[in-house]
Formats: sequence, C-alpha cells, structure tokens
Amino acid sequence: MNFLSNKYFLLILRLIVGGTFLYACLDKLLNQELFAKAIFNYKFLPDVFINIFAIVIPYIELTASVFLILGIFKRGSSFVIIVLLIVFIISLTQAYARGLDISCGCFSLETVSEKSDILLRIIEDIFLLIGSFIIFIKSKTIIKQERQQ
Amino acid sequence: MKRSLLKEIIIIICISVFLGFTVNFFSPNKIPLVQDYSSRYIVDSTSSDKQKPVRQYTKEGFVKPVNVKVQDVKKMFDEGVVFIDGRPPEEFAAGHIKGAVNIPYKEFKDKTTEQKLEILKAYDKEKPLVSYCGGGDCEISIDNAYEMAKAGYNELKIYLGGYKEWEELGYPTEK
Repeated sequence: MNFLSNKYFLLILRLIVGGTFLYACLDKLLNQELFAKAIFNYKFLPDVFINIFAIVIPYIELTASVFLILGIFKRGSSFVIIVLLIVFIISLTQAYARGLDISCGCFSLETVSEKSDILLRIIEDIFLLIGSFIIFIKSKTIIKQERQQ
Repeated sequence: MKRSLLKEIIIIICISVFLGFTVNFFSPNKIPLVQDYSSRYIVDSTSSDKQKPVRQYTKEGFVKPVNVKVQDVKKMFDEGVVFIDGRPPEEFAAGHIKGAVNIPYKEFKDKTTEQKLEILKAYDKEKPLVSYCGGGDCEISIDNAYEMAKAGYNELKIYLGGYKEWEELGYPTEK
C-alpha cells in the first residue's frame, strides 16, 4: 500500500475529491432557495435550521474544496469533507430506506429523483469518503516525516 | 497536532459562515434566515366557497397555486376540470385519475416558457387545473403546479392526497 503515500497519488486524490465537491457546491450556491427545499424534502431537520444550513453548507463545501485543491489546511479541509460526506450518506440512506420521492440535492438540484439515483449517489459518496480518509491520514504522516527530516 | 486540526476546522467554518451570510445578505436571490415551511401543506379552505377567493401572489409575481381538500377536488372532477398528473409516464400508465393528462414534471421543468405554453395551449389560463402526483411523500404535484403557474396559469390547484388517496376512496381511475 506504499503508493497511497505517493505524493502524486495524493495530489490526484485531492484534485478528484476537491474538484467533485467544488462542482457539487456551485449549483447549491446559485440556487439556495432550491437547496433549502431539498433539505426540507429530507424531513430530518427542524424548519428553523433549514435556511441557515442552506446558506452556510454550500460555503463550507466551497472553502473546504478550494483549500483541498490548493493544498491549504489539508487535514482540516479533508476532515470537514469527511464529516459532510458522513452526513450526506446518512441522510441519503434514510431517505432511500424511507422511500422518499425526493431530489438528493447532491449535484444538481432537480426535484425528482429515482431510487436508483439515490443509491448511485450513496456509492459515489462512499468512494469520496474513502478518498478523503486517505488524504486525511496520509497528510498527517507526511507532516511527521517532514518533521523527522 | 490535534490543536492545529481543530484550528483549521474552526477557520474553515468561520470563513464559510462569514461568506455565506454576507453573500446572502447582498444577494438578489437572498433567502430569509428562518422560513415557515409548514405553509406548503396548508390546505385552503376558502376554495370551496362560491365566492372567488382572493388570489395570492408569490414574490416572483405569479399567482400562487392553492392546495385543495379532497372534497373540492372531487367536485372539480365532477365539473370536468382538467387534471394534470406530474408522474413519469410509466407510473401514469400503471393507473391514474380518470381523464387526467400526463405532464411529467421531470421533463416539464426544463422546458422554456414558450415550450410550456405550447404544451398547455389547450387549456384556459383563467380556468382551474388540478395538479397531482402519487400522494404520500410525493411533492411533484406542488412543483409541477408552480411551474405551470410561473408560465402564466392563474388557477392552479394542488391535490396533495394524490393518486393514492383517490384510488383508496374508490373514485374513478383508468389505466
């Protein structure tokens, strides 16, 4: 598993995870009202928090993904992305299990989404989660190595 | 080590909160910090009155679709009002309210206003149209109604109970 620590492998991983997140947050940034509705559709957050989440979450995604791409705060930004992904996976899974006929609000904010779409998103998020985990863990060891030198 | 991670996370969150609220404050499409979502499900009780209820407008300037009770929906059905089914064609084919027209929301929403008007041209803008879908958690009825209202249709009614309730009540359906 040595290649996991490879500098270029980690760079590519950061670009993939950061790039995907950056792409995914743009639509939400431009259509906050629709994103708020998507959150509402998940039916797990009290109404008073919906809009605040809809305002802040896309910017957390934006900041974390830009930082990850540029290599600033690699651990912090990958950690934030890991937390977001876990939240996304949980909410998607419960929506899938409850059979909600909703949009996941993942990439584009279209309102209708088939069950298979949701399943695909869950799988996608799991892959991203694995990627960000590797970045998180390996960024730590790299810092350690640098210090040892 | 742990401390620097926490510091990084706090910085990321602070930047995001600052950016989010600032941009939202100045944005032309800004959303209120707290919004009442329950009104999406409030069923209008005045719609059954003989008197024409006062129209409400959305902030975009089109007439707001009204949620109607099942009794009123049935009354409109008996009067021959057009029913619009927003579900995908396969679900529509498996069973729908008798005489309903299938306008799948998934395709309809991406059309231009001209295309929407072309699809709806057979119907009078000032006469009621009832939008429904599968019922239960289905929200297509609401979204589809808003799309049609946005295109200039002024008498949109939403039947939240949808096909599920209609079928359970034993009202006329067809395949």
